[in-house]
Formats: sequence, C-alpha cells, structure tokens
Amino acid sequence: MVEIRVEGVKKRFGKTVALAGVSLHVKPGELFAILGPSGCGKTTLLRIIAGFEYPDEGRVYFDGRDVTDMRPDERGAVMVFQNWALWPHMTVYDNIAYGLRIRKVPEDEIRKRVKRVLQLLGIEGLEHRYPHQLSGGQQQRVALARALVVEPKVLLLDEPLSNLDAKLRLRLRGEIRKLQRRLGITAIYVTHDQEEALAVADRVAVMHAGRIEQIGTPEEVYKYPRTLFTAVFLGKTSVLRGKVLRSDGDYVLVSVGSHRIKAMNCGVKEGDVAAVIIKAEAASLEPHDGATPIEGDVTVSMYIGSYVETRIAVNGQGEIIVNLPPAMRLQPGRRATLYLDPNLVYAFPYEAEEIRELAEEA
Amino acid sequence: MRATLRGVLARLRIQLEPSILVLLAIPLFYYTLFFLAPLGSILIYGFGFDWNLILTPHYFNLAPIGAPYFVSTIHGVHILVLRGVDLGVVLNSLVIAAAVTLASTVLGVAVALLTGLYDFPGRRIFAVLAFLPLLIAPFVNMYVIRRLYGYGFELNTFSWLLSRLGIPFGIAFDKQAGVIFAQTLAFYPIVYVNVVAALGALDATLVEQALNLGSRGFKLLRTIILPLIMPGILAGAMLVYILSLEDVAAPIIFNFKNVMAYQIYYFFQSVAAGVGKPYEAAALSIILLLAVVAPLVVVRKYLSLRYYARLARGAPRPLQRIRLGRRGLLAAYLLVLPIAVAAAAPQIGVVVLAFAHRWTGPLPNGVTLNNYVQLFAMPGAFRGIINSVEYTLASLPLILIIGFATAYVIARLHLPGMTALDALATLPLAIPGLVVAFGYFVFLHNLFRATLLDPLVYPGVALVIAYAARKSPFTVRSVYTGVISTPPELEEAAKCLGSKRSRVIRTIVIPLVWKSMLAGLLLSAIYVLSEVSVSITIGALGGDITSPNHAGPITFVILRLIQAGGVVGGTQPQAVAAAMATILMALEAIVLATISKGLLRRGQALVSF
Repeated sequence: MVEIRVEGVKKRFGKTVALAGVSLHVKPGELFAILGPSGCGKTTLLRIIAGFEYPDEGRVYFDGRDVTDMRPDERGAVMVFQNWALWPHMTVYDNIAYGLRIRKVPEDEIRKRVKRVLQLLGIEGLEHRYPHQLSGGQQQRVALARALVVEPKVLLLDEPLSNLDAKLRLRLRGEIRKLQRRLGITAIYVTHDQEEALAVADRVAVMHAGRIEQIGTPEEVYKYPRTLFTAVFLGKTSVLRGKVLRSDGDYVLVSVGSHRIKAMNCGVKEGDVAAVIIKAEAASLEPHDGATPIEGDVTVSMYIGSYVETRIAVNGQGEIIVNLPPAMRLQPGRRATLYLDPNLVYAFPYEAEEIRELAEEA
Repeated sequence: MRATLRGVLARLRIQLEPSILVLLAIPLFYYTLFFLAPLGSILIYGFGFDWNLILTPHYFNLAPIGAPYFVSTIHGVHILVLRGVDLGVVLNSLVIAAAVTLASTVLGVAVALLTGLYDFPGRRIFAVLAFLPLLIAPFVNMYVIRRLYGYGFELNTFSWLLSRLGIPFGIAFDKQAGVIFAQTLAFYPIVYVNVVAALGALDATLVEQALNLGSRGFKLLRTIILPLIMPGILAGAMLVYILSLEDVAAPIIFNFKNVMAYQIYYFFQSVAAGVGKPYEAAALSIILLLAVVAPLVVVRKYLSLRYYARLARGAPRPLQRIRLGRRGLLAAYLLVLPIAVAAAAPQIGVVVLAFAHRWTGPLPNGVTLNNYVQLFAMPGAFRGIINSVEYTLASLPLILIIGFATAYVIARLHLPGMTALDALATLPLAIPGLVVAFGYFVFLHNLFRATLLDPLVYPGVALVIAYAARKSPFTVRSVYTGVISTPPELEEAAKCLGSKRSRVIRTIVIPLVWKSMLAGLLLSAIYVLSEVSVSITIGALGGDITSPNHAGPITFVILRLIQAGGVVGGTQPQAVAAAMATILMALEAIVLATISKGLLRRGQALVSF
C-alpha cells in the first residue's frame, strides 16, 4: 500500500492557472476523493499524479520517493479514464491482459488472473466481445478490471461513473468502494458529484479555482466547512446577508432584516457583515430545541419525488431553499415559519465578490 | 512562474522517449536535407544573376505590342480569337495566375454552393461534372482543350458544333488567353472540392439559427454562409494560384512560353546540352517562391494540418439541402450547367482520343485499341510505365515513414516548434514543382556530382527523393487526422499500465490509424504517378523516349508523345499519350472512390490538390 504526497504543485496552461499551489497527503490504502466544480483543476491534479502532466512547480511523492520526473509507465499508478479508454481493436480479454503482457507474465498465469478479475467484477463471459458490443456499465467494469488486474500500487479514477445513467452510477460506486477496500489499494477518485464523493471516500479534498479548500472525512467537510466555498458548494444551500450582533464562542447571532438567526461561528466577530449559509435540511416546519424561527412567503414549490423543494422569500433579504416532506407541501403565496437548526447554519465573513462567483457557478 | 532548468530537463526527458526522438528526427532530417537545402541552393545561385535585368521588357513589359483579340474566318465561320498580350515573363505568370484564380474561384464557389446548398433534379450530374477534371490527365487534357476550344488551321470542336447548328460565329482561345482558359477549366474543381468540404464541415444549427431569425437568400449567403466557408474558399483559391504559377502544360500546348514556369522548364531542356542558364532559372525560381510565399502567409492557417483535420472530421450535424425554386433551376441549367459541361468535356475528350485513330480536325476519327497496344509495343512508352512503377514503389516506403513520423509527432508532442514542423510538412504542397525540381538539380548535381544522386548520372534516385518530399503531405495529413481523431486517453491508458511509447505506437496507435495510413499512402501513390514538374525536368535528363532505356516516368513520356509530330506505330502519338493518361485517370478514380467510400468518413476534403 502506497502513501501519496503532493507538495506545492502549481500548473498553468497559457494564461490560465489550473493549479495555484496544491498540497495533500493520501494515506496508504485510503480512498481519497477530489471534489470540485468543473474547471477547478481536479483532473489536472490527477494527471500530474499519474505523470501525464508535468507541474510548473511542486513535487509528487509515492512512499516518500519523488516520482515527479518519472514517466507514467515508470510510476505504477494506473488510471481509469472518464471515457474508459478501452481499445476498440482489442477484445475484452486482450484489453485486460495488456498490462500483464507488458509485465511479461506467462500466458497461463494471464488467463488465470484475467478470469479472476472478470469474476471479481461480475463480467464473466464477455472475454471475446469488443468494447462496442458492451453496455456502458460493462465497459466501465472492463476498464476497472484492466486497471485492477495488474495489482497497481495506486489507482487513479477520473470521473469513472460520469458517463453512466443515475441508477447504474449508484450501484457501481458501491462496488468500487467494496473492491478498493477488499484489495487495499491506495486510490484517488476525482468527481464533480458531491454525493458520489461523500459516499465512496474515506476522505475528501474540496477544490476550487486551483486550490484545495478543505480536506477531511465526508462528515467533516459537510458539517464543519472551513471556507465559504465549501459551505456553499456542499449540499443545497442558501446565502443571506446579515450583521453579527453577538458572538459566544461556537455560535453567533446574526440579524438578517428583522430576523435573528443563530449560526455556527466560522470566523466572524461582533459588528461584522456576515454571509449566512443555510443547508436545505437545516429547516423544518416543526419547532424544536435551539431552533431559530424565521418567517417568509412561499414563492416556489417543486415536487421532486422524495421531497418538495420549497423556496421561501425572507422579507426582502433573499430566498431560503428547503427540502420538505411531500406531506407538508406548502402552496406558493402562503406565509410560513421555518425553524432553523443552528448546527447546519454557518456565518462566514461576507465577501461580495466570492458570493457572486459562487452564485454564478451554482 | 518561471520554469526551472531542472523542470525543463525533466519535462524533455518525459516527452522525448527514444522512440519519439527517432520519429522527430525523421522529418527534421528529410525535410532539411531534401527540401530546405535544395531550396536554399537556389538562393545561392540567385546571386549569380544580374538583377538589373529583371526590369527589362523581357521580364516586365508594360507596353505590349499586338492585339489581345482578332477575328479570323475559317471555312466561312467567323471566329473571335482571344489571344491576350505578352507582358514579359514575370508579369505574364502573375497576370495569368491572378486571372485563373479569380475565374476558378467564382466558378468553383458557384457550383459548390449550387450542389452543396440546394437539392434539384440532376444535382448529382453537376457534382460529377465538377469532379471529373480532378482526374488528372497531364498534358493530354490540355491537348484536348486545344482541340475543343483552341485556335488552328481547322475549326475547333466548339465552333464546329455552333456552325452545325447554323450559327456562323465561333470562339477560339490562343496563347495567353488559351492558357488562362485551359487552366481555369482544369483547376476550378479544386476550389469546388474545398468549398464542398467547408460546407460539409458547417454546423447546420448556425444556418438554421439565421433562417429562424428571418435571414433569407442572398442576405443569408452574404452574412452567414460565405463568411463561414471563407477559409475553404481561400484554401482552394490559394492552391489554384500555386498550380497556375507552376503549370507548364498549358504554356507548352498553347505555345505561350514567356512565363516563369516554362522558362525554368526550358533550363532543363538545354542543360544536358551544356547551354542552360542556371542563374536566370534561379532568379525566376526565387521570384516564383516570393510570389507564392507572400499570399501564403495570409492564408497559412488554412493550409495547415489543423485546418485540414477540422475539415476532414465534418460537422456535428450537416446541412440539409434546400429545394431549388423554378427560377433557380433555370439559372442552374442555363448558366452553370454549360460551364460545367465545357469544363468536363476535356476529360471525356481524353477518353475519346484514347480510342481514336486520330484527332486533328474538329472531331476524332475512327475507333481503335491500337493506342493501348502501342503502350506496350513502343519500347520508350513501356519503359516509362516500368520506370513509374519502380519509382512509386521505391518512394512509398519513404512516404510512409515520413508521413507517419511527422503526423504522429505533430499530433502528440507538445513542445515549442511543432507549429513550425506543421508548416514545414505542408510546405511541399505550396512550393511550385518547377522550383523544387530546379532546387534538386542544383543541390544534388553540385553536392553529389558524378554519384548516383547526381541527376545527370541517373535521375531515378533524385526522382524518388523528390517524389517522397513533394507527395508525403498527403500521407502526413491523412495520418494526422487519424491520430488526432483517436482519443489520447487510449495511449495514456497503455502508458499508465507500464507500456513504453514504442509499444504504445505498435500495439495501440498503428492498429487504430492504419486505415488513415493506407488512405494517405494511396493518395500519395496516385499523385506520385501523375506528378509533372519534377518528372518532366529531372526525369528528362535520363535520355529521350526514343531510347528504350530512358529513365523518364509516365508523365515525361506523355509530354514527349504530345510534342511528337507525325505518326508513330501507325497511330497518332497524342492518342497513345491519351491511352496512357486514361490508365492514370482510372487509377485516380479507383483510389479516390475507395478512400471516400470506405477508408475515411469524409473523403472529399482529401482531394485538395
């Protein structure tokens, strides 16, 4: 099991800064997700770790050994590509056997190992098919089999499920998680899908504009965001502007128009203008201990299936998005009182520029 | 963020694996030694020329004597003879090239828009007619154009047909006007195919959006379609301009020898006798180079591999053809069809001549297969065929290696200087053939005198080297398109599994692009077989066709047969030349059909030269 360290990596493409100084540490055997919106530099980072791009600055280490100057074929890090990159002129068997043949494994042994990995991934019987004769899910499994069969030191997954439909994605992400655990391979998983990242990873790095915003367990980054971006990006969130009235350690009281909202203190002090980030699940229609009541008018109510996405305008201060159970559906035009759980409401120093950018990205 | 020296070195080490270094070295070596160095030698010779002479009337004549046209009466028919004026060697070439480019562009764009945008009964006839002149029948097509539309003691076919219809007037083209007319007929399809390819690469939604906003007819054409296909028009026009400047066939057939290309060709006629004027040929070559390079800089990006690859891939959704209205149909049939027929007639005429006893008057006489028999019976003719097959077979491995190496390196190596290599690899398409021929002659004759590389000792080696340089761009372009339409992840997947680049190329790249390699190679092969400039100059140094052991290729033999008088082997030598040309045309037709049907998705864009 390999430990991966990335130190101070910077990369530009022409005038565009892809990576503005990235450092991270992936523990041996860990499944580490890199999560961020498109264009944040996550694929570039993965390609630098794989050796397909060379950083302008910074180094990459595998088990303490500097691999920055090594070619991809010398690193032992195998990548599964977003488009799976199955060779169309080779059968499934030849695709999977390719890496073993390079390692000069005897054909007998190759047969055994290919068979084993086919079983492992549940795709026995497809050996003689060509990639174009496979479904998307089968292709994805073949790509994974091709990577796993060589028992790589490091497995790099670049949005491996993004070309599949929603249901299949759900199933395969569970399988990838199980396989990685079972084989104990250090893996880095790049995705823009936060649910996927939170579901599969031991730890997640949230990336934005070429930088890492936060690294932590899925729960840490979701529940205890350390930057405004992480707070807004993860989950369904609303942003209101207010002024900090009082601070008592972990919590602050922010005035938003005529409302007083209790929120977790994320670096503000009394008198500051604050951005109040509210996760959609923070709001309920039932009063409960410690909850902050807030009143508003229902503007939109969209039935999504398992919940109703409801938008509530708060006295000219903006809108709050909340997920309500279908049984509690509110009709637009109605006045409603919401109760906000302060542990899912965050007060960050208000940065107009960044909030505008975030709103555009959202 | 300045890259450190260590970073630069590491990056080079990562990119420049030994196999890549070898691939990179191939085009650099070949194009430097066998393309740039010969061109450079011309510059050195240019110093020997007294450049004060260039402004004399022999080269630039702004006060020409003689009438540009006159009326002549042949067999009671009044013929308007268009002749043009002699403006001196340099100015003649430029005026002819400008006129041919303009006329070809107007005609080519008109036919392409008609067949590309509209659907109407007989559309495919237009497309086929416009395509026919692309089947090159070197010299013979010009000979037939002269029979059809030229001036001589007899009525030309066109005027004869008019007289048969009771019209006592006719028209004939001679000298400069003949060259302009003949080149326009022969070259306008190059604009046509480029515009058709550009239309094919046009995203339909762009046009549909304009239609949706209310744009119609000429406004749509002027504001949306023409600007979008302008790159195709410019590329086609530029190629016509270059072909016109380098063409010697029309000047020979229409007896208008005061053009640069002919004068350089004439150098080779006299060099064997030791009376050639190399300094003048060098000076004219330099002027020709400048005449090509100056406009080339403007349209360069349209002649690069990147532009070509974009065309070859086509649009996400191609245009739907619009039904042509009644007035449009009338215009198509009354205006465009006659011109397209007139332009395709020489190609049909070549086939007719190949099966005719003789064709000296308005119409050919008799039907015979004797012309084909003569190809094998006449030792000089048969030797030409054998020579061409040998030279082509010898040049193809070179073309394959250069083509693959150049295309792969340009497509996949991300280092500074790749744009320059792209330009270098496309340049052979743009440099006039006679300039190349002259360059090879002075370079090889001086540097390798009295060796097998010296064209005066044996022209075969020089021909093979020159063919590989001139015709490799077709393979380079085809392979390039193949490589860049293959996702790089396919190669990266192999690399991260531990494969070295050489193995990636062998096991992944070549199996995926072999069709493009084959398509390019076939194209290169037919253009080697029908190559003119180097073949009739350097190829002429290995003896005349009266000798059964001459070293000239097919096109050289065709030229000599066209120039021959009297009767050879009981038949007209021009008819034997036509028979030979039909074989070339058939080969060209087979290759182009194969490529556009099976080997590549959008083959039309391939036929751009």
